[in-house]
Amino acid sequence: MLISDYIIRVDREGDRLIELKNIKKSFKKNPVLKGVDLKVNKGEVLVIVGPSGSGKTTLLRCVNYLERPDEGTISVDGFSVEGKNASKKDILNLRRKTAMVFQHYNLFKNKTVLENVMEGLLVAKKMKAPEARNISMDLLQKVGLGEKINDYPTQLSGGQQQRVGIARALALNPSAILFDEPTSALDPEMVGEVLSIMKKIAGEGMTMVIVTHEIDFARDAADHVVFMADGVIVEQGPPKDVLSHPKHERTKQFLKRLVREPEYEI
Amino acid sequence: MAIIDFKFALEQVPEVLKGVPWTLTIAIVAMIFGVLFGLLIALCRIYKIPVLNQLSILYISFIRGTPLIVQLYVFFYGVPVLLGYLNPRLGLSIEADNISPLIYALVAYTINTAAYQAEIFRSSINATSAGQMEAAYSVGMTTAQGLYRIILPQAIVIALPNLGNLFINLIKATSLAFAVKVVEILAISKIIANDGYRFLEMYLVASIIYWVICLVCEIIFSKLEKKMGRFEARMDLKAPA
Repeated sequence: MLISDYIIRVDREGDRLIELKNIKKSFKKNPVLKGVDLKVNKGEVLVIVGPSGSGKTTLLRCVNYLERPDEGTISVDGFSVEGKNASKKDILNLRRKTAMVFQHYNLFKNKTVLENVMEGLLVAKKMKAPEARNISMDLLQKVGLGEKINDYPTQLSGGQQQRVGIARALALNPSAILFDEPTSALDPEMVGEVLSIMKKIAGEGMTMVIVTHEIDFARDAADHVVFMADGVIVEQGPPKDVLSHPKHERTKQFLKRLVREPEYEI
Repeated sequence: MAIIDFKFALEQVPEVLKGVPWTLTIAIVAMIFGVLFGLLIALCRIYKIPVLNQLSILYISFIRGTPLIVQLYVFFYGVPVLLGYLNPRLGLSIEADNISPLIYALVAYTINTAAYQAEIFRSSINATSAGQMEAAYSVGMTTAQGLYRIILPQAIVIALPNLGNLFINLIKATSLAFAVKVVEILAISKIIANDGYRFLEMYLVASIIYWVICLVCEIIFSKLEKKMGRFEARMDLKAPA
């Protein structure tokens, strides 16, 4: 590690936004997370990559307690929750610190585009409708869907739905946004529109934790890359280290497989 | 005398129509309370609330596994016995004879229909995708808020065709209410038929009245389905005209 890198790390110590300590999680008897520590600084874009079944999505879902960890501590923006024995109130407070963008968008099917974005503001933030509407309209314009506010989610393409999902997350003005494979369910020609909006948000200083298979995006937009395999973090660091000059054999294998031509024939 | 005396049948229609309010009252009241209790029971089962979950399973199994008419008899003869047991112990003085047959019918039909509605709601809530609740959580909603604002509006749309079916069955099932002494459509028809030995005529009159009521209900429910399901992508809306 270079000395300059080290200095930056030390400087950022005070800006710690998310901290996961010793997170363990099993499904039935299958251990998915085997004691993972993760730190995310304010304004940082952290990308988690790794093969399927490595536990990266489960780890992300522990941050807002969509998965209950068997062990460990979750801290977000100064609010700490003991993994196993969190009360309902703790969980709610923890969730209200962050917002999430889902692989399958998960827009509220019974609500229009505008209502989808307003919903969290009205219910969780107890905002008055006109104010919530203004914020939501601005954000929908920002993601290029100002024309679609009265459509229902089923009337939109996948890329459009995911952009609404991003607007819905942004509206909450969260301290961090969690992205769970936001482009994995999209047709290839729609991936670009979603990634470019994500890059725009990153440029505005939003803290983002992103689970993705888009290695080029990680190389391009991430401040910090975490490579996971078999329920542990194998390697982490700046993208140029982890993705271009990986040290671990496991990381090398994973990256090689991503670039290599497929072995099957059609 | 003709084989079927249509004139006689037509003359009796107004008299039989007097049973319609009874039929509708039983069906509508039982349906409304059934929705309420059915929903609560479904939630007890989905969230596996201890004790209530097991009781719900037992209750649904018993109601679905016994004929309605048997339930009506058990209820009708059971309540006076129950009151006889409870009155001295709780210091009450409720006379079973003073309870009107309509109350018996309303309670018994509610108990019956709530069991079926619980199963309809349980399956339709389970049919909403898990991601909807997760999204509700992710924007900071509580479970109750997520259920009320996101899950139930979607679940009711999924449940509507089954609820419509259930309601039509309920209307037809009110023809058994004579068992608890409620004089509704079929009971009136039987009484008239007994007087003049005109059974076929009177049963035909009854069947047509039931049919018309059910027809109206079908139309109402299909309108409701269209209205409430406006957010669903439907094949018939998307297909070219």
